[in-house]
Amino acid sequence: MKLLKIGIRFWITLTSVLSFLSGWVMLAHAPKPNQANFSSSSVAAPLPTLEPLNPLSGSDDNNNFQNQPLFSVQPSVRSQFKPAFRTGGS
Amino acid sequence: MIRSIEFRAMNTSVMLAAEGEGAIPGMYAAKAFIDECEQRFSRFLPASELSDLNRSTGDWLQISEDLMDMLQLSMKYYAETNGIFDPSILSDLKQIGYDRSMDEIRAHGVNVPERVPNRTSRPAFHELSFDLATSRVRLPRGMEIDLGGIAKGWIVQKAAQLLHQYVEVCGVSAGGDILFIGRPLDGTDWDVYLEDPRSPTEMLTQLHVPSGAVATSSIMKRTWSQGEKIRHHLIDPRMGEPAKTDWLSVTVISPSVIEAEVYAKAILIAGEKELPNLLKRKQDLTFIAVDSDGDLSGSSNYKEYMYEFTSNAF
Repeated sequence: MKLLKIGIRFWITLTSVLSFLSGWVMLAHAPKPNQANFSSSSVAAPLPTLEPLNPLSGSDDNNNFQNQPLFSVQPSVRSQFKPAFRTGGS
Repeated sequence: MIRSIEFRAMNTSVMLAAEGEGAIPGMYAAKAFIDECEQRFSRFLPASELSDLNRSTGDWLQISEDLMDMLQLSMKYYAETNGIFDPSILSDLKQIGYDRSMDEIRAHGVNVPERVPNRTSRPAFHELSFDLATSRVRLPRGMEIDLGGIAKGWIVQKAAQLLHQYVEVCGVSAGGDILFIGRPLDGTDWDVYLEDPRSPTEMLTQLHVPSGAVATSSIMKRTWSQGEKIRHHLIDPRMGEPAKTDWLSVTVISPSVIEAEVYAKAILIAGEKELPNLLKRKQDLTFIAVDSDGDLSGSSNYKEYMYEFTSNAF
């Protein structure tokens, strides 16, 4: 009985080590992800063409907004039923 | 639906509102205009056109059409208010410590020592000379100009006119100087909240204005300490000192934002006693004065612009 236990433990240890090593070897020889993409690029679907964005204003002659500096920080626009104006001097 | 943007310019908060298809490009165009005007007409920027003018004292200087317009308007209102509106009080302002922007004063305090005012040391504003044919002006030696409020009113008017090229209905406010062009498309009036000068986060009343301008002048907004004294920015040109006023703030409702701005200041400085003389030729001017208890008084028609609240309205 004691001999059987030792045998089972040895068997479990041996199969665990062998499984780990075989897994290591398999992963080491597997193709890398970018290699896989590269090899399949010849059959990749063409990129869709995006439609140009609609201007914020429908009226072209009023589009001075497009002349603003590209990277200037503009305050965000709020939409309200009626904005609250305040007066109290400055 | 009304679109609006808020931002800071001219050391105060600015709000633009517009209704219609061109609202967004129009508001950004108006903002760009206001930002450009600040660079041109601020006395705190050494490269501004106004600083050039103040450095040219004693000599003729060619100026832009816009600055000429502001100076001529200033002269008109100087005459109309018998000198109570006077943009040549800059040397007095500097003497009481307002020699840098209010943001800087709030951060670092003033470093101008308290002195007895010397009213006779500066020339009168009407001594300024114009040469319209060559677009030149000459400040008499010793005169310095602070366009302050009138420049703000002028910029609000021009920005509103610019925005109006994009939309039928719009409003522009800079530090409480407001001009509305057109009435909101739902047919109601514009709402304007009147701040309590004792506590500007609280509102005293709500006004309704179909179109036109509202402007307020207050002695409570720009205040600072100079030695033992609490100073404010409204100089009484007759004394060369911060005005001792009967009220804390005055609000004027008028078709013109420049007129509203000028008369709000003039009424506040003149006080109750001088009021009949000041308004002799402006009998129809609507104004609301707020005293130190927060009580309202004013022209005979000012209540027409106030909402009537019933007891259960709140």
